[in-house]
Parts: sequence; C-alpha cells; structure tokens
Amino acid sequence: MTVKKQALPAGMHASHIRKDSSQIMINILTYIFVTVFCIICILPFWMIISSSFATEESIRRAGFTLWPVDFSTYSYELLFRSPDQMIGAYVVTIILTLVGTLIGLFLIAMTGYALQRRDFPYRNKIMFYIYFTSLFSAGLVPFYLLIVQYLNLRDSYFAILLPLLMSSWLIVLMKNFVKAIPHEITESGKIDGAGDFRIFVSLILPNLKPALATIGLFLALSYWNEWYYSSLFLTTKVVYRPLQYHLYNVINKVASLKNSVAGSNVVITDLPGETLKMATAVVATGPIILLYPFVQKYFVAGLTVGAVKG
Amino acid sequence: MKKLIALILSLMLICSLLPAGAEGIDTSEHVKIVYLVTGDMPTNRTDEVLAKINELLTEKVNAELEFRWIEWTNWQTQYNLALATQNGDIDLIGTATDWLDAWPNSQKGAFLPLTEDMLKTYAPKTWETVSEAHWNLCKYNGEIYLMPEDNYAQWTNHGFMYRGDWAKEAGLENGVHSWEDLGKYFQYIKENKPEVIPWDANGNGSSYSPQMAGGWQTSHTGNIAIEGFPVAIFYGESKENPYTLSRYYVEGDELVNFAKEMKAWADAGYWRADVLNYTGDVVAEMEEGKTGAHQHHTQTWTSERTTMERKQPGSDLGFFWFGEEAKNLISLNITHGAMAVAAKSQHPERALMVYDLMRNDPEIYHLMQYGFEGDMYTVDENGLFTRPEGFEDATDGVSFNFWWGRNDNLEFRNAELDWDAISAMYAAYDEVKIDYPYGQYIYDNTNVGVFMDNLSNVYNTYMPRIVFGMNDDPEALVAQFREELKSAGIDMVMEEIQSQLDAVYAK
Amino acid sequence: MGSLQKAVPKVINYKKPSFGRTLMQNRTLILMCLPAILFFLIFAYLPMPGAYIAFTNFQYNKGIFASPFVGLKNFQFLFISGQLGLLLRNTVLYNLAFIVLGNILQLAFAIMLNEISSRGYKKTAQSIMFLPYFISDVLVSLLVYNMINYDFGFISHLVRNLGGVMPKVYQDANAWPFIIVLVHLWKSTGYGTVVYFAAITGMDSSMMEAAQIDGANAWQRIRYITLPTLKPTVIILFLFAIGSILKGNFGLFYNLVGNNSMLFKTTDIIETYVYRSMMNSFNFSQSSAVGLFQSVVGFFIVLGANAFVKHLDPDYALF
Repeated sequence: MTVKKQALPAGMHASHIRKDSSQIMINILTYIFVTVFCIICILPFWMIISSSFATEESIRRAGFTLWPVDFSTYSYELLFRSPDQMIGAYVVTIILTLVGTLIGLFLIAMTGYALQRRDFPYRNKIMFYIYFTSLFSAGLVPFYLLIVQYLNLRDSYFAILLPLLMSSWLIVLMKNFVKAIPHEITESGKIDGAGDFRIFVSLILPNLKPALATIGLFLALSYWNEWYYSSLFLTTKVVYRPLQYHLYNVINKVASLKNSVAGSNVVITDLPGETLKMATAVVATGPIILLYPFVQKYFVAGLTVGAVKG
Repeated sequence: MKKLIALILSLMLICSLLPAGAEGIDTSEHVKIVYLVTGDMPTNRTDEVLAKINELLTEKVNAELEFRWIEWTNWQTQYNLALATQNGDIDLIGTATDWLDAWPNSQKGAFLPLTEDMLKTYAPKTWETVSEAHWNLCKYNGEIYLMPEDNYAQWTNHGFMYRGDWAKEAGLENGVHSWEDLGKYFQYIKENKPEVIPWDANGNGSSYSPQMAGGWQTSHTGNIAIEGFPVAIFYGESKENPYTLSRYYVEGDELVNFAKEMKAWADAGYWRADVLNYTGDVVAEMEEGKTGAHQHHTQTWTSERTTMERKQPGSDLGFFWFGEEAKNLISLNITHGAMAVAAKSQHPERALMVYDLMRNDPEIYHLMQYGFEGDMYTVDENGLFTRPEGFEDATDGVSFNFWWGRNDNLEFRNAELDWDAISAMYAAYDEVKIDYPYGQYIYDNTNVGVFMDNLSNVYNTYMPRIVFGMNDDPEALVAQFREELKSAGIDMVMEEIQSQLDAVYAK
Repeated sequence: MGSLQKAVPKVINYKKPSFGRTLMQNRTLILMCLPAILFFLIFAYLPMPGAYIAFTNFQYNKGIFASPFVGLKNFQFLFISGQLGLLLRNTVLYNLAFIVLGNILQLAFAIMLNEISSRGYKKTAQSIMFLPYFISDVLVSLLVYNMINYDFGFISHLVRNLGGVMPKVYQDANAWPFIIVLVHLWKSTGYGTVVYFAAITGMDSSMMEAAQIDGANAWQRIRYITLPTLKPTVIILFLFAIGSILKGNFGLFYNLVGNNSMLFKTTDIIETYVYRSMMNSFNFSQSSAVGLFQSVVGFFIVLGANAFVKHLDPDYALF
C-alpha cells in the first residue's frame, strides 16, 4: 500500500493562512450569522425543557416561558412511572440504533464505492435500480403483507431493523462522497495487486471519515426516531417497544384517558397533556444529543481502524 | 406410551367438557380466540383477571381469550390494516357503525356473515335476548354481520355543559335550555368575568363542525341525522316524514341564521380569535374555572358533573342538549358498539361461544368489567359499586375495553356519580326520544363514492368557518358553501341516496 | 483532476467483451453491490406488484389480486375535484421554495462553519443547528401557536406592548407561505448543513493549500474552490429532491394549519386534501392511487432532469 492520503483535519488550514482582510471579515460575519441561527434553534428547545418542568396549569395560564413558572416534575414522574418499560425502551432503541447503523453504514459505503467506480460497467443500471425505489413504493398494504405474512416478522425487532438498513437516498449521498476521493487511490491499490474489496476496506474506508460520520448520523437518527414501523409491526406481545413509539403511546394514552372514548366508568383527573408532550421530547432527544458526539467518535474510528486491520 | 397418555388425557378432557358439548358441539380441541380491540395495553391487573376468565372459558367451552390491542397511536391505520390483512390471526372484532366503520368494513368483506343457525347454536343467549327487529338492524344484504350492544343505556347525544351557578347569576333560573339561553349565558360571562373565556373550544378538531352545525339543526328543525355517511349533511325531513331527505344544506334560511348567530358570537368574543388552531386542554380549563362551557355528549357530562363538583364546589354542572327546544332526540343507534366475527377466523363457532359468555355469563362479565369482587370493588344492595380507598384504574383496575356487548342486566352503577341528576336527565330524554329510524339502511357508495369524497372536502373547508363565525359576511359564505356543494355534485348524490332510501323503506 | 481520469475506462474498453466476461471481470464489485440489490429486491420490488391495489375495489376477504378490477376509478376523485390545479400549484411551489432556499441556506452555513477555526465552536454549532430536527411537528405547531396567536401569543404581547397592532395571523392566508417556509428552513437547515459540511471536509485539501500559496483571498477561495467542489453534491441533492416534487410533508402542514380553512388557499397540498376527503372513509385503494399518481409524475420529471444533467456532464447524473 503505497499511497496514504492524509486529509487535513477540518479547520486546520485556516490557522495556516495569512489573515488578510477578507478572512477577518468572513470570520466576523460567520460568527454573527452562525451564533444568531444557533440562538434561534436553541431557544424553542429551551422553552420545551422549561415547560416540561412547569405545571400544566401554569402553561395554560402563561404559555411557554423561558423559566418554569411553577416548578413540577410530574410529567417525568408519569413517564417513568413504569421505569422498567422506559429503561427497556431505551435499551431496545440503543441496540437497534447501534446494530442497524453499524451494518447499514458498512453496506451503504460498500455499495456507494462500487457504484462510483467509473470502470464498473453496471453502475448506472444498478444505481437506477436502487433510485427507482425512492420514487415508487408498493404502498402500505403490500408492504405490511410482505413483513407480516411473507417474512413472518410480526413482533420481531427485525421488522424494524431490516427495512431501515439502507435507503436509496443514503446510497446516493455516499456515492457522491466517495467520488471526492481521488481515483488514483484505487489505481494504486490495483497496481499493488489488491482486489476491489480489499481496496475498499483498507484504502477507501479510512479516507471516508466525514462521510461515514454524516451518513452514520442520518442512519442512527432514522433508527432513533422510528415509531411508525413499530406501530405497525410490534403488537403488545412485544414487551419493550422502541423509545419513540413508547413515548407516543404514553401521550396518546393520556389523551385517550382524558377523552375516554366510549365512556368507561373511570373518572380521570389531573393528567398533564402539554407538559407531558414537552417531557417526552426532552426524554427522547436528550440522550442522543448528549451521547452522539462521543459514540460517533469511537464508532467511525472503530469502523475505519478495524477496516485497516482487517 | 406417551401417545397412550395423551389419548387418555384428551379423553378425560373431552369428558370433562361434556356439558358444553352436550348439544352436539365439538369442543374437543382447545383453541385460542383472538379478540381485536382498540385501546392501550393495560398496565393494571388485566392479565390476572384474564387468567381467571380463561380458566372459566376453558372449563365451559374449552377456549381461551387472547387480546390483540390496537393502541391509540396510529390506531386507524392499525385497525384497518389488521382487518384488511387478516389470515385467520383474529377471531372476534370489536366494531361500531359510527366510529369504527362497521358497514364499510362489512362491505369490504372484513366480517363473517352469521347465519341464524350459527347464532342459535353457538350464541344462544345472545340470540334470545336480541329482538328480531334488532337483528334486522344488523343485516347487510340480508345477512347478519354484527352482534349489537342493544341492552345498555347510554346517551352520546351532544350538547353544552354549562355551570348552573353562573347560569343563575345570569338570570337563567332554570338553567340553559336553548341556544338563546346559551347566548345569554355566554354574554353574562363575557361582561362579568373578565378572566374567563365564555367557551374555550378546540376548533381544530374535525368533529366540532358536524356536532355544532347538527346541533343547531336539530334544535331548530325536526331533521334527523342519518348515520354512516362520510360527511354529515344527510338528514331525514322529520319523524313524521323520515324517509324524505332534508334540503337543509342546499336551501332555506335556517343554515343562514346559524351562520349569522355564530358570527355574532364570534364578534362578541365568546371564544378566542384563533379558535380554529387551538389544541389546549379545554376540559381542564373548565375545571379550573377558566372557561364556562364544554361541548360534548351526555355520557361525558355524567362523570364531569362529579369532577366539577369536587373542583368547583357548587358549580352544579348542567347540560343543554341539542334538540332540546324542538324536542328532537333520537336514541343511540344500537350498533354504536357491536361485535363481529373475522371473515377468516379459523374458529368462528368457538368465537361465538366465547362472545356469548362474555356478554351473558354474570361471573365472566363482572370479572371483565370490574375485576375481582372484594379485592377490587364492592357492591351494595342498590347495585352501586365502590372502589376501595386509593384505587387507581391505571394500576389497580381491569381493562377489557368491552364496548361491544355491555349488558344492563349485569351492570353495576358507579356509586360516585350523581344518579339523581342523571336519572332526571334520562327521564327527560325518555319522554321525547324516538328510535333511530334508519337502522336498516346502509349507504352503498358504488355509484357516488367519488363525489362523496369531494363533498366531504367542501364541508370540511366551509363548515369550520361557519361554525366559529370566521367570516365577514355569513350570508355570502353560506351561499358560497352551497354553490361549492352543488358543483361537487350534491344534487346527484342526494338523488342517489333518496333512491337508496326508497328502495329500503318504500311500502 | 477530472478530465484525465474520465478517459481511462474508455481506453480499457477498446474491444467489446462478452457479457459473461464482463460479469467475471467485475464479480467483486457486483458482489459488493449484492447486499443492496437483495435488500431492495426484497423490501421494495417484491411488494411492488401489490400496487395493483390502486386499480381494484379492495375486498379484504379476497385479497389484492382477487379483488374486482375497477380501472382508474380510484384516481377519479382527485381529478373531478376542481381543486387539482390549486393543489399542484401549492405542492410544487412549496417544494421548490424548500429546495432552493433550503439549499442556499445549507450551503451558506456549511461554508461558514468551515471558515470557523475553533473546533469546539464548530462542533457545538453543528449540534445546536440540529436541534429543531428533533422537535416533532405537533410540538412545532404548539410553539408557533404560542408565538403568534392573537389573544395570548408571545409576539402579540410584544407587539401590543410596543403599541402596535397585531394582525390576526391565523385568519390571513397570505402570511402562511412565509411562516411555513420559515418553519421548514428552521427545521431542516441543520440536516442539510451537515451534508454539505461533510462534502467540504472530504474534499481534496491539497488544492486549498495550493490556493493559499497562490495568494488567493478568502472570497476567492470560496468562490473558485469550495463552491465548485460542492457542485456535484448540489446537483445530486437537487435531482433527488425533484423526484418528490409532488409529495408534500403532511405532518408539517397538517399540524400547522389543521382544518383552518381560511388558510387553505395558500396552504392546501395534495396530502392534506386527500386526508380531508377521506377522513371518514378509510380507503386503501384510493390512497395508493394518489401515491401512484405522485410517483408517476415525479418519475417523468426526474427522467427529464437527469437526461438534461447527463447531457451537460454525464458525471453529475444520478444514473
């Protein structure tokens, strides 16, 4: 392996540049714009956090505020009323996310690499074959029948894991990222007598860190935020439902109790609606926001380093 | 050797089941009956109770019951998918002609037609207790598809809950009994209670329009709503002449009057300006004294009255029901809740046997509805039940969500509710109510279904604006609404429905 | 770096090899694509014949293929509604606004982030920009309502305290294209920025160094190096988005607007219309029909756009 292309870490170059006036100007503008936009992004989120710790009544009275008017943790108590359900939901979602992202990311990168190889004669045909599926889908009933009756995956976590492994969008994106890696790398590998798979694993993957991080993030998010397939394929026989579906259920359960559909004899009082919605958003988002940067670091590093060794 | 033991065991099993099999019904095979039901998986003691019920069911008909919950998240898709893709995995289906599309689903082949013989043999008690007239209301194309909840007193007619104490202050000594009274009540609140929104409403809910528009209509005409249409504009003329379609929505002044009145109410500020997008918890607001009214049905009022008395002592929550002025009240359609057998059920006979017990066997029924006696509830000599101190339904209760065959002969009344007020209300209803006249009519959408979808869209576009007075010129808006209905094909659709009605009710 | 390499495969293909030979030669690359090929075969192509449901009166007890064929009847309601023109206009215009404005904003932020030298700031900013993506449409609509509702809204209070007159936004259809586009941009900018930022980070840094040595200033670097490097990504994203030009984001529109018909003129898209029409009559066949119609139109638009791009530069085409 002769070529070892060392991409400069992001941001490194800026420090080497002689700071001319345009650079200073750009820096000032950049900090202003980015900071302002960040504030716009974080303020509503802050309001959500603050409201989740407010009482239902104070929300109705004062609306959303930057600081809870009457402090209350009732929504969180309600969410964690059955802690094993909540912990189970976290565990299921974390495992699904890790496994799905790991496998999916590798397969997507492999496909993306093959499809951008200019000397691969079938690349356009295969690309079309893949892209076509993003335009046409069979619709709900056939897909449901496939999963439940043909693949027999009702009540199996595979019904969530498998359909989300790849998407044509992520493959196209990956293909585009791989393109930026100079073709000489592949050529040099060929000269060294390496096969295509070996070139991909030991020469391409290590150079693909930003792409892997990005697509890994998207893939992880699609697993993390999944609730729709869960609602279709995981019946109540499954003890632990993925996080987002579990949270939706909590919200809807409260809503249905409040409007008790067919007039059961239960008298329900004091169930929070709004603050509960806020609390679920915090509970669902918190971990991935806080943990993702760390996970990502080791995840991508592991994928590429492991690849070099393998 | 093993085989021999198995043989002996199964023989013993058959013998033990002889009472049930005595009429020549073969129950030698133990089967699981899967019951499709809407609701969240309970986190209370339902499983415990189910185990006990399954013991009883095994003993009586050698079957056990298993839930298939359709949880409220995404429930419409889930429910319809379960019906559409069934392959013998479900047996009993909870359904309803109003909120669960029982007739369209019958038309789509989701349910098994039930013959008289089947019902007589496998669900004899149900067969006996439901009258012939009621069975006729469960037929589509001459075949029975539903087993109705026809012996359960409940009223889901809509109206306004209002505070009796504030009504008195407003000079309405006897409470609110007409739209006119309601307007006075709102005006009083507006003028005297600046912190209170007279009626804070969730105008974003799609059901408000038909409820309010239909409410005014039943209060000011003799029109009777016909159920089963995707859009609520098809009414019979009156109880004297029920089988002629009313032309209320295409011509006449009453709809214009309604629009004008609501415009006046909106301008007077009886509800918030952005009512159409408001999603807040309006019931809680009423309980906190922040709003003076809530639009929902009688059943909700019966329990809300108790809650309000606790939270706003002396509030004396009353109920003005739509149709009160015109004494225009229709009994709840008996198929508001019903049980059906899945079209592809592997064990339809046993499913019927199980349902017959759920509905009619006192022991099983009480377990399902209330749980273990003594432990979870007690009943006094008046048939009122009480939960133990600190009882919480979410953890200590039982949830079968059995809304498809409740039975007043076996029901206990909740001791917490104000039965004097409720009985008085029911008595007033009983004086004027008539039976739902269109039970045998099932809308067939083959010819005009396409137009119906567009009518539905026109209705959902205009009606919220009429109902909440969101317009500059109510008269012009109604005219425009009628114009759009016309171009969406209402004349043709009404003609078709009229001829369908004639075909059923022509004498 | 492009033009030389592009010629390489052509040189190799000096004689037309047999199909079997090509297959053998590329067996590794084919094998590398095999998982994806199988994946899409199973999860996308296998159920596809079931789209026949759009042409049937679906009977649950008979199954899709034994249900009676009704031709184009399920497509009919959309066409006779008289609303199709308005719906197409709204759906397409919103999508175009999302694509064009969204991409400009995302590009801008990606380039800006790249100019920032502080690693910590860069990372934090990226994460924060992603936050709105996590807020569900239901919560977004609650937030918007709390901001701008006439009686109690945050902005309404502000305007009144400053002596201004708050317009009744929820009764003014003209305000909503701006609100919806803003909300969409707010939600999606973080996501797209990450894509472009990764593309910048992954690009050949030797050129950047060369440019510095040549004395190019910051504007020139962005204009002549960063932007052109991002061109293929922009084109790919555009081609991909254009295929869904007739598909609207139901969750966003429905939650923001609901059934407030005063706003429909400018906010009604195909999905919300279909929802309103079939609210009380669940119909699998009809919803499939609408989806099929959107797909077919999108398909032809993409074919056209792709052919156009291919004509300009085959390297940028999607397939």
